[in-house]
Amino acid sequence: MDKAANSILYLDDVNVSFDGFKALKALSLIIEPGEMRAVIGPNGAGKTTMMDVITGKTRPDTGDVLFAETRDLTRLDEATIAELGIGRKFQKPSVFEKLTVGENLALALAGNRGVRDALFWRMSTREKARLDELLEIVRLGAQKDMLAARLSHGQKQWLEIGMLLAQEPKLLLVDEPVAGMTDAETETTASLLKSIAGERSIVVVEHDMNFVRELDVKVTVLHEGTVLAEGSLDHVSADNRVIEVYLGR
Amino acid sequence: MLLAVALATMLTIALMVTHAMAADLATEIKSLDTSNFAQKEKAIAAIAATGDARVAAVLTALNDNKLLIRKADRLVVIAEGKGNVKIENAATGEALGEAAEADLDRIAINNKIRRQIKVILGGLTLFSDDPAVRLKAADDLFRSRDLSSLQPLKDALAKEQDPQVRQAMMEALAALTLVSDAPEAEKLAAVLTVKARGDQDAIALLSSVAQGSDAVARAATEALTSLEWARSFWDSLQNAVYGLSLGSVLLLAAIGLAITFGVMGVINMAHGEMVMIGAYVTFLVQEVIRGAAPDLLDQSLFIAVPLAFLVTALIGIAIERSIIRFLYGRPLETLLATWGLSLILQQAIRSLFGPTNREVSTPSWMSGSLELGALTLTANRLAIIVFALLVFVGLLLLLRHSRFGLEMRAVTQNRQMASAMGIHTARVDALTFGLGSGIAGIAGVALSQIDNVSPNLGQSYIIDSFMVVVFGGVGNLWGTLVAALTLGIANKFLEPFAGAVLGKILVLVFIILFIQKRPRGLFALKGRAVEA
Amino acid sequence: MIAGRLLKISDRGVLVTLAVILIIAILVPVLHLLVPPESAFHIPAYAMALIGKYLCYAMLALSLDLIWGYCGILSLGHGAFFALGGYAMGMYLMRQIGSRGVYGNAELPDFMVFLNWTELPWYWHGFDSFAFAMFMVLFVPGVLAFLFGFFAFRSRVSGVHLSIITQALTFALMLAFFRNDMGFGGNNGLTDFKDILGFNLQASGTRTALFIATCLALGASLLLCLAITRSRLGVVLTAIRDAESRTRFLGYRVEAFKLFAFTVSACIAGVAGALYVPQVGIINPGEFAPANSIEAVVWTAIGGRGTLFGPILGAVLVNFAKSWFTSALPELWLFALGGLFLAVTLFLPKGLAGLFDRKAAGGRRAVPAAQPEAAE
Repeated sequence: MDKAANSILYLDDVNVSFDGFKALKALSLIIEPGEMRAVIGPNGAGKTTMMDVITGKTRPDTGDVLFAETRDLTRLDEATIAELGIGRKFQKPSVFEKLTVGENLALALAGNRGVRDALFWRMSTREKARLDELLEIVRLGAQKDMLAARLSHGQKQWLEIGMLLAQEPKLLLVDEPVAGMTDAETETTASLLKSIAGERSIVVVEHDMNFVRELDVKVTVLHEGTVLAEGSLDHVSADNRVIEVYLGR
Repeated sequence: MLLAVALATMLTIALMVTHAMAADLATEIKSLDTSNFAQKEKAIAAIAATGDARVAAVLTALNDNKLLIRKADRLVVIAEGKGNVKIENAATGEALGEAAEADLDRIAINNKIRRQIKVILGGLTLFSDDPAVRLKAADDLFRSRDLSSLQPLKDALAKEQDPQVRQAMMEALAALTLVSDAPEAEKLAAVLTVKARGDQDAIALLSSVAQGSDAVARAATEALTSLEWARSFWDSLQNAVYGLSLGSVLLLAAIGLAITFGVMGVINMAHGEMVMIGAYVTFLVQEVIRGAAPDLLDQSLFIAVPLAFLVTALIGIAIERSIIRFLYGRPLETLLATWGLSLILQQAIRSLFGPTNREVSTPSWMSGSLELGALTLTANRLAIIVFALLVFVGLLLLLRHSRFGLEMRAVTQNRQMASAMGIHTARVDALTFGLGSGIAGIAGVALSQIDNVSPNLGQSYIIDSFMVVVFGGVGNLWGTLVAALTLGIANKFLEPFAGAVLGKILVLVFIILFIQKRPRGLFALKGRAVEA
Repeated sequence: MIAGRLLKISDRGVLVTLAVILIIAILVPVLHLLVPPESAFHIPAYAMALIGKYLCYAMLALSLDLIWGYCGILSLGHGAFFALGGYAMGMYLMRQIGSRGVYGNAELPDFMVFLNWTELPWYWHGFDSFAFAMFMVLFVPGVLAFLFGFFAFRSRVSGVHLSIITQALTFALMLAFFRNDMGFGGNNGLTDFKDILGFNLQASGTRTALFIATCLALGASLLLCLAITRSRLGVVLTAIRDAESRTRFLGYRVEAFKLFAFTVSACIAGVAGALYVPQVGIINPGEFAPANSIEAVVWTAIGGRGTLFGPILGAVLVNFAKSWFTSALPELWLFALGGLFLAVTLFLPKGLAGLFDRKAAGGRRAVPAAQPEAAE
């Protein structure tokens, strides 16, 4: 466990295979508290599987996955992992379409997740204030009572980020946050993420190189389920193997 | 040389004896004409002693009250029929024309005489010319263990040439030895002979012998134990065969479902009705053949199979085009819509053919049975097992090696990509559904041979079929095969202990629990593809 | 916001439905008891029992709606919970017969005497007490649903698989109850009831009281479902229905929420069954038939799932149609029912309630009925 010291997320030698197909091969990754990390890689590199492993959706065949130095994530289910403080934003915006924007955020608000609490729950003033604050951050104040299904694509992405923030997680896993956003929206998203980092750790999976450049953080390149290169964007862009993977031989 | 002489001598003597006896028969028969039962007994014994070929006929007639005396000349005759009866000379068998019953006297017999006749006939049949009769006599003796037949049995055994009859006689002799006061060594040998026979009668005999505490009883107990083992082995084998046959029925019913549910993800609750329609097609085919070409009735199933496939496949395609295709991605809605459809189809068939069972005949080549050791395999069970496996293999080959199978798998795995590659996904969907339905129709032809053809036929299979598919793992034909056979055999093995209904309940409960443990069935596909 | 849902159309529908139930609860008994039989407005006992039966079915449909309409769990075995509640009530009514049975045995019901049983099986003890029987009406379906749901939801059996095993559950129960040695009357079930709480079951007064009790139970169930769906729990249930794994990643223990809804729903179904039995006078294993459960699903679908008043409307309308068809055009009933299944799934995914909704909602855009689980 010493190896995991001073890390918020520690993956070591993680292997996952589906019917013989190796989705992750000896993947190792360490995220420090407060760090923001960008993960890039071509399709099928194992980015989503890595997220699945961290959030408890997929159990690795072998390997260690530790959260906050000590918690073994391979033994916990999704709900417990979420309660520990790992929030996830999906690649495709997956807000609850038939709930209002406000309800979506209220569902995500940090707090007790038990059945009984849910049955007798009344929103406190503090929570109301927090909700309004979040609506403000994701610029959906006017759409509070609108069904989420009616939001534009970009607005759904924002709502989802809002929900992620509402959970007040220690670690955010963000899968392609700017897909389908306009340039202006992309820029705002980048600055939003940057403002959160420091306080919380963030792992961003992204294709959009401009966005990654905007973030200006350490980059990990995944390829065929394993780490190909790690370092600043300029550093990895200069790596021959990365160029080969991205541009083809 | 010496042997030939000996044989010739024996033959000569035998012939002479027979001739001498024949002369006696008529006299002895005449002495039956008395009202004294004791004298009748003597006469019967004398008749038997003649050893004449007519003895059996005469005594049988006496036993059946058909041995009568013509009042006119006190001649003993055998009568056949009622009112005006045909009569023949009891001693010679010469036909004497007809006589009125009033002109004949009955020879009365009592129970004692009946028993006497029975023993004599038993002994006599041991000497019959027909090996089958001798075999039956020996077997009867094994069961009755009538010690008075001991001597005739020994005589018959000495003469017997047919190995099978000889074996039976030796077993009968062993049985008699066991109930006689023969020496222990002989009895011990007899136990072994009876044990070797090993059937239900042998077990009954050994159980009765095993009552005592002497060496013979111990030997019998030992023999019983080993026989029980053999018996339970054969029982298990028989159960396995029953289970295999039930499993094949399940396989037939479920395999079409495995395609529509497993490959397409479509829940077709009307699947059972496709099976039912297949059965009705068989009925119709037979009706037409019966009217047009009755000679072909035995071949009716060969016509029914492709026709049932065609009819149900077309119905399936129509269903897919008109209903299912609007509901892709909404499995629960599909389930409800097809259930509604199943109600309509059932009622339609009920309106057309009436609610009662329809008669579907079984071809002659499917009746009869095959004996293998203590195993009975009926031809229709065998035929269904073979048929189910043929359908399975055929389907497997179709999916593996045909262009259609390839397109079907491509669409299943990646619809967009397949479509982009120029595969008409809509057509593949329709054909796949048609294939699943068509196989259900074929299953209906097979089920018409073992189940009642009624509008409710399909309903009794639908839940079982779903269980098979779910248990086997969705999207896996091999899983369906293994699941169907496993469930069939499990069902049949549970039946003797739990009864048919409780056995079925236990199997259902087992599947419900199994699904909790492995929600994706026996042979689950793993990975992300499954979740899409 | 939660408060924003307060005046949703479906809530207005619930209020109207509650009012209608209240009116029926008063009007029908008045027309039955106080209006003389000669009058055209008189409601005869059989008609009141029939309406009572519809209302029990409405409760069953409502219980299904709670899990299907709000939580996305399609149970094809809810008839089992209904029947179990019915059997619990039936057992109490059997014990009430006492020595008035054909065999005059004060201890054993007739069918047990017929089977040469000498003493009451252990699980029949206590059913001579009304309070105990009423407890079992809730307890037996509740516990079965809890155990079944506990294992099923924990292993994430969902969607079609869950539907199929719920069907297997009710099928297995049907086979079991058909067995004579189960001690529930086998084929014939439980019948020939005499009285309830000492009141003659054939008396107008008793029948009226049962009818009013049914109305009250339906109203209470409706309010309970309203409270549940209106609470944050209801929001979580909807979230689970639309995107189960997303809800899990938000930190909600999906299986616990499903289990809660499933168990409550089974209890409501059990109460419905318990009220059904004294009004129709019999309970037999046929109530477990998978077809019954599926029929209940279609009442819910026709009325409109995801609205609390829709299933009630659907159950009453479909059963009224069934009564009419089976007496007027019996051969056509299955065609009509099958056609309803098809029509509703193909053309009216939101059911009859969807029609009101669309009209009343005005500018509010209709949401597609089925949203496939959000993939990631």
